[in-house]
Amino acid sequence: MNFAELVVWCDRVLAMTVKELKQLLRDPALLLIIAYFFTADVYLAGSGINLSLRNAPIKVLDHDHSAASRELMYRFRAPYFDLQGELTNPRLAINALNAGSLLAVLDIPDGFQRQLLQGQPVAVQFQIDSTNTVLGTLATAYALEITAGFGQDFIAQQRGLGTAQQANLPIIANRPRVLYNPNRIDGWFMSISELLTVITILSLMLPAAAAVREKERGTIEQLAVSPLSPLQILLPKVIAMGMVILLGVGICLGLIIVPIFHLPINGSVGLFFAVTALYVFATSGIGLFIATVSRNLAQMAMLGILLLMPILLLSGAWTPPEAMPQLMRIGMKVSPLYYYNDMGYAILLKGAGLSVIWDSLLGLLLLGIGFFNFGVWRFRRQFG
Amino acid sequence: MNFSRVWAVTYKEWREIFRDRLFFAMSFVLPVGIFLVLGFGISFDVEKISFAVLDQDQSALSRDFLHRFIDSRYFDYKGHVNSDRELMPLLAHSDIRFALIIPPRFLEQLTSGQATSVQSLIDGVFPYRAEVAKAYLTAIIADFNAQSLAAYWATTRAMPKPQALALVSPVRLVPRYLYNQALRSQWSMSSGLMMLVLMVTPPFLTALGVVREKENGSIYNIYASTISRSEFILGKLLPYLLISGINILVLWLLVMTVFGTPFKGDPLFYGLASVVYIICTAGVGLVVSLLVRTQVAALMLTIVISFVPAILYSGLLVPVESMGAITHTEAHLFPTMYYLRIAWGSFLKGLGATELAFDVLALVVYAVLLWSVGFLNFHKRPST
Repeated sequence: MNFAELVVWCDRVLAMTVKELKQLLRDPALLLIIAYFFTADVYLAGSGINLSLRNAPIKVLDHDHSAASRELMYRFRAPYFDLQGELTNPRLAINALNAGSLLAVLDIPDGFQRQLLQGQPVAVQFQIDSTNTVLGTLATAYALEITAGFGQDFIAQQRGLGTAQQANLPIIANRPRVLYNPNRIDGWFMSISELLTVITILSLMLPAAAAVREKERGTIEQLAVSPLSPLQILLPKVIAMGMVILLGVGICLGLIIVPIFHLPINGSVGLFFAVTALYVFATSGIGLFIATVSRNLAQMAMLGILLLMPILLLSGAWTPPEAMPQLMRIGMKVSPLYYYNDMGYAILLKGAGLSVIWDSLLGLLLLGIGFFNFGVWRFRRQFG
Repeated sequence: MNFSRVWAVTYKEWREIFRDRLFFAMSFVLPVGIFLVLGFGISFDVEKISFAVLDQDQSALSRDFLHRFIDSRYFDYKGHVNSDRELMPLLAHSDIRFALIIPPRFLEQLTSGQATSVQSLIDGVFPYRAEVAKAYLTAIIADFNAQSLAAYWATTRAMPKPQALALVSPVRLVPRYLYNQALRSQWSMSSGLMMLVLMVTPPFLTALGVVREKENGSIYNIYASTISRSEFILGKLLPYLLISGINILVLWLLVMTVFGTPFKGDPLFYGLASVVYIICTAGVGLVVSLLVRTQVAALMLTIVISFVPAILYSGLLVPVESMGAITHTEAHLFPTMYYLRIAWGSFLKGLGATELAFDVLALVVYAVLLWSVGFLNFHKRPST
């Protein structure tokens, strides 16, 4: 290809890109939906989604009515628990747990204080509504910590051990430090996760829908008889949608994630955009493949969702690869979102540079080239 | 209403669906596919948390301490490092999720009856996992402390070991998990996923079915015919309701067989409530189809108002009680939350019509509302 041909080639791609952008701009409903995705949707996910235990409603079945039982129950307090008083009989406890108005019931046995004073071990029961396993797990963990702390303090008080004496016991102090998100703000994780999800949905669906629409209306035949090559027909769709998506990412970071959630961007924003562009390219390859398989938009929509689900799920955002079954872990290696997700968090939160993410970048690049060429190859066979 | 005309539309729609083999197959494959992938893919069982160790003591005791982590099924040991500089790249690259640092003189301090400390660096990108990892870590250290303290007191104060142990941890908390005894997230997830799948697929089918006629222009045949708008809407949606009804049964079976989730409630009640739910979600699709003119926009809008709320605001991943104020309100605006209560109530809690009456009523109200909006806004005389 000489220089003149290259100019013509680029000129055609440019003209087609302009055409795609115009077409997109003329669908105001779609534009509104895209804007919603990048702003309100990310905001809602980041501000409202909270995977931590906050003010979980609990009540106590106190069979002992002693100073010790009261001391123990009042330790179940904010921010984790919301102690809503006492229950008089176990039947009420079950009813409240069934109705979901209580998360847990603490059952303190008769003779609790007496046994403690005699130095006998006592068991208290903690009934938890575990339909939601996240809450069940956290509530149990905190309750165990609270009761253990109560027990130690009770004994220390009884034996007259001050804090100074406790320091002279052979125990290991636990000094955990949470990195990258020291206050464990769910909004940081959720807003980024939602942004990556939105990018995935749009980059899979938009170029594919643009291609299928041409097939459904028959305008693809016009393009096929024009001097445009299949690549020149498909690439502009990806470029146009990619531009819209990158713009959306910029708006989302600049208007929502940074100012509202105060997320400290520790890495390079430029690198994040570059990685995003590569990701849009890779994912749109999958979309183009779907576009060649389906004859109309309804088919494309269903195939798109069918592929979108595993991609979103095998991303490693919700369940990290090490906790996945073996088969799923293999699936993750061909999911572009897995690499993108890794890099997204690494760049934005962990402040990682190229030296850390190079292997994920390489994986994404290879997948992208593979998917895109496959999509174009299928299209060429259909219309070439 | 003339039922022979309704039947005519239904028959025409059914043949159209049936002749589009890919669409027909997908309308059954899609729900099952989404269901299986999500059911196996989302897991909140925090297990195999990978970690590395920097042991600056290298004594028998520090190795004994570490083995409590290495042998635990919750942790996955990735090896030792020789300096703390090596830990950060491992964390940044997500090779490990936390690091344990054992100080020098660990053995010496503990055997001479002094306190020591163990530092841990936890990857906080996903706060829930960090929280659970921290809780496990705390529990292991507390357990180790209890035993070493008991041993210490048993020797220094010459008391029998059981008494010393009772002294160290006098109160034991016995958690009792109701409804989901093993705290298995798959039970909750699989039954909850019926809500998600039945929220996503019926609107897709109905919205695309109606908008397809609008975009292709075949709707003008309807406008020009004698059929009334209610007859058209009813006839048009019946085949999609039938498909979704079959899907209810298929999914129900999968929840019980593939995931082994028990069904404790009333099958007749649950079946009827599910039918109300799909009428309701098909109504969502109907309303979407009125708002947009193109199938691409219909596709995107359906994702926005069905997929995203079903995952984020239903209570499936995040309990409604722990949401922020705005999201909490938003959760109540979608039918998903009510149906999820019905699903979990029926599968796990064994509740019936009396306890869940309010939620069914909410679904009925939604269904009536959505179908009325759909009916009133469907005009046989389009403005353009």
